[in-house]
Amino acid sequence: MGKEKLIPVFAIAVLLIGCFSALYVNAIEVDSKTIEINNTEYTINQIFSLANMRTIITDEGEKTGVALDDLIIKTGSVCSSCNAYTFKSKDGYQQTVTWDYLEKGVLTQENRIYFSDSAHSFWVKDIVEIEVG
Amino acid sequence: MNKNMKLFAGILVFGSLWGFSECIIGSVLKDTGLPYGSIITGVFVLTFLVLSRIMYRQPGMQLGMGVVAGTLRIFNPFGGCHLCSALAIMAEGAIFEIIWYSFSFDFDNMKNITNQVSMGVITAYLVYVGGYIVTQILTPIVSGVGFYVENLIVFLPRILASGLLPGLIGAFVLPGVLQISRLDLKIKDTLYYPATFGVSAFCWIAVLSLWFMWGA
Repeated sequence: MGKEKLIPVFAIAVLLIGCFSALYVNAIEVDSKTIEINNTEYTINQIFSLANMRTIITDEGEKTGVALDDLIIKTGSVCSSCNAYTFKSKDGYQQTVTWDYLEKGVLTQENRIYFSDSAHSFWVKDIVEIEVG
Repeated sequence: MNKNMKLFAGILVFGSLWGFSECIIGSVLKDTGLPYGSIITGVFVLTFLVLSRIMYRQPGMQLGMGVVAGTLRIFNPFGGCHLCSALAIMAEGAIFEIIWYSFSFDFDNMKNITNQVSMGVITAYLVYVGGYIVTQILTPIVSGVGFYVENLIVFLPRILASGLLPGLIGAFVLPGVLQISRLDLKIKDTLYYPATFGVSAFCWIAVLSLWFMWGA
């Protein structure tokens, strides 16, 4: 088959991949009102009553919320051999950071994490789970 | 006219227009709540990449345009993820080069409308998805945090789904760009450099002045 005839076939394949991925994403999306930390579910209000507050400066201004390092300590999720903390969003997006980042990070009332000097791609929103590993 | 100088001016003007549309038009679209990334890639990026390819017929040019546009995107006065966007834009230029490698000089494969629409879908989809994947890999590495492959794998279905809209937009845009290119619009040699450097300067001055006012 010539290249000319393959072009529409590739286009259909690409569209099918996009369609099936969209259906899959829609099917697996989690709609949770709680955040799972170390196998325990917490509401955002419980988290705010549990851990200390912190204000950080980002390139989008001041962000105030729960100090992430304190949150990990207060939820009993600290382990001496762990240094990877993965923040998972309801849409499947997730980012992993080290303890150093937690010390300059906050979880806001809008359920979004911010770090004072990181790329915005680490600012995960709609958190459903924090995994310690 | 010196061919290399003419090509350099072409890279500069198309790259600057690309960067300008990402920074200014993209930010306006974002504020209106529209899917700005899909629209920018499906309409503006695809137009600049294909038009420049047809006009100059020079492989490698679009990679240079991506570098110019990505550099301008770093100075986006309206915030957003500067690093990830700049990396994605540069990757988009490189991905376009790979897809269009075999079309460098011969556009006979796109004489019928079916192939034009199909190439619009393929190009816009792969450029968008490819840029998205590259930035998911490179941003953590460049930031010094480290790349975790499992983070990419679990998010891959959403990235693949996100390319659907730019792909569909590309189906309409590419045939339109090919029609424009057939008009055979020519610019006089004496006006070529003033026009290209003038448009490029406008794009850079507009973005940088807004960046100094609001972003810096």
